[in-house]
Amino acid sequence: MAKSVVMPALEMAQETGTVVSWLKQEGDPVAKGEPLLEVETDKATVEVEANADGVLAGVKAEAGAEVPVGQTIAWIVAPGEEPPAEEAAMATGRAMSTAPVEAASSPEPAAPRPASASRRGKISPKARRLAAEHGVDLDDVQGTGPDGAITGDDVLAAAQSAGEATASAPPPSAVARLMAERTTESWTRAPHFFLVREVDAGALDAHREALKPAIQNRHGVKLTHTDLLVALAARVLARHPKMNASWEGQGIRANERINVGVAMAVEDGVVAAVVPDADTAGLGDVAVRRRDMAERARAGRLLPSDVAGGTFTISNLGMYGIDAFTAIIVPPQAGILAVGKIADRVVPVDGRPGVRPMMTITLSSDHRVVDGAQAAAFLNDLAEAIGDPGAFGLATND
Amino acid sequence: MSMPETETVVRQLTLGDAIREALAEEMRRDSRVLILGEDIAEAGTVFKVLTGLVEEFGPDRVLDTPISEPGFTGIAVGAAMTGLRPVVDIMFGDFIGLTMDQMVNQAAKIHYMSGGKWKVPMVMRTTMGATRRSAAQHSQSLHAWFCHVPGLKVVLPSTPYDAKGLMKSAIRDENPVAFFEDKMMYKLKGPVPEEDYTIPLGAADVKREGDDITIVATSSMVQVALGAAGRLAERGIGAEVVDPRTLWPLDETTILESVRKTSRAIVMDEGYGRYGVMAEIASVIAEQAFFDLEAPVKRIGAMHVPIPFSPPLEDATVPTEETVCEAAEAMCG
Repeated sequence: MAKSVVMPALEMAQETGTVVSWLKQEGDPVAKGEPLLEVETDKATVEVEANADGVLAGVKAEAGAEVPVGQTIAWIVAPGEEPPAEEAAMATGRAMSTAPVEAASSPEPAAPRPASASRRGKISPKARRLAAEHGVDLDDVQGTGPDGAITGDDVLAAAQSAGEATASAPPPSAVARLMAERTTESWTRAPHFFLVREVDAGALDAHREALKPAIQNRHGVKLTHTDLLVALAARVLARHPKMNASWEGQGIRANERINVGVAMAVEDGVVAAVVPDADTAGLGDVAVRRRDMAERARAGRLLPSDVAGGTFTISNLGMYGIDAFTAIIVPPQAGILAVGKIADRVVPVDGRPGVRPMMTITLSSDHRVVDGAQAAAFLNDLAEAIGDPGAFGLATND
Repeated sequence: MSMPETETVVRQLTLGDAIREALAEEMRRDSRVLILGEDIAEAGTVFKVLTGLVEEFGPDRVLDTPISEPGFTGIAVGAAMTGLRPVVDIMFGDFIGLTMDQMVNQAAKIHYMSGGKWKVPMVMRTTMGATRRSAAQHSQSLHAWFCHVPGLKVVLPSTPYDAKGLMKSAIRDENPVAFFEDKMMYKLKGPVPEEDYTIPLGAADVKREGDDITIVATSSMVQVALGAAGRLAERGIGAEVVDPRTLWPLDETTILESVRKTSRAIVMDEGYGRYGVMAEIASVIAEQAFFDLEAPVKRIGAMHVPIPFSPPLEDATVPTEETVCEAAEAMCG
């Protein structure tokens, strides 16, 4: 009755996961639901639970190993039972096959970065010494020795080419590398177009001020403009399913749920933490969810579920003093809203110059999914919603 | 190779002749030098290395002994202690077991235990090397045994030139020296200049230069290594052949310099691979040049079996050029 432990797919686009550390050793008894190991995905480090009672056996992926999603990394067997010899590479689909443990229950600090050594082949002692001397990451070195071993010459060649490109730049983290890959993929493959609207944020401000005390009292969290925009955008998206769809290579896939990602700066880049079902979530829930994720993002403890399944994204650089900007779509989503700062500007008010708190919002859209008119209709509705948040019944949380 | 390059035409001598010449010259130079052993006088040894010496120096200085290795080795130790410079001839290296107490507990210890008051300036000449169809008791290469004992020097020449220069140094040395001659190399010819020269004990010789892999080889394995290096060069691999010439003292500096240059090392010796000369040299390399290595140090030695009498089987126990080429190619990738 051996049960395989597989590298879980914790995100939609995840292809591999890295074993950070095993929390149980081979031969240890484990109970279903007990934390078994820590896995680092592209965006987060997460504890993976045992999926059965038994004894941990046949560990195939050591700490540091980068393993394709769905591959067996260990077995949970009955006491005395041998793990099956045959590698059962069972497909898990994209579903989350192993529930991540709630991060709040693990108060210890984030695990150290894995050495990620085991996916490499042989490395000669000379190569190791030269790599240390030249600051070369052996992960980036292609071995040319016997059996693909990395030799000293390989390291020197890598050091030389690295020296030519960037003088001893440290290797990118998983987040930074992923950001580079995803933005490149999006920018080069998704035909972006941009629509800009200047909106009066007075009503948004007023709504925020009105709801703030109640939400503070009831949820203990400070309501932000971003929270309001997430809730509003989600409710407008409900009327514009195309904007909430995805390009799936061969065609458009409609997404049933409306999960709005919020771009958050982390140490090495940016991630989009997701407020699921933002179209039906109350403002307080949105605010609490966003605040929790922001704290975890700062601590580097975002869960894969925090960043998975987004269908639309909002990026707000208003707090950085940015008036307006264009954002790169998060694949495979169809759109991202770039929000600038709210600034007092002189605008016509009832035919006269007046000073209003104005905000520029810029919608980036994937032209494979939506066209200009469809995107404009969405942005127009959103602008109207921002102009009258109360019309959407945005209340505290009921 | 440290040959005098000014010599335009250097005469060719066999290794056996070079040793005889060294002994004869030293006997002429120093009347304290004498030789004793079995079948060495009129017979000139079974390998005919000493032919003619008894005629020149007489039976008092070229002494035929009974078959009594422990006895005449002990005589040599005593003779050395009392002022002579004896050269003991042990016909087959396989017989050194008989001499062990004299060599290990007497010759090697006396200088130390007498607080330097006594010395034992003797040489034990003996043979090594397989493929002579001499079976398991006459084919072994047991020089590692003496290497293990403090107080003994161990010399393994690989060319006629080295043999002559090293033999002279061994005779002139104030310590007991074991001198191992590969019986299959007695007919090997090489340049040997007429003039007097010596080669210091403890100086390795780079027999061939190369950049890709170091082959540390001793005695007849130097010739195998040189043959392999020629074949490897055709395959684009530059092999450097380092001959330590003396296993104690061991010229670690030259070996390490070469390995640091090439980053790869094969150590070959006709002794057994296990617990042997190769293990020692491989350890020296691993301990002092580990972080210059691209590959584990490879030992190539005799197969760990009694040397068979069957010719095809005997041949299979000895490293060949092809063995070395295969190992070198695998290591260089």
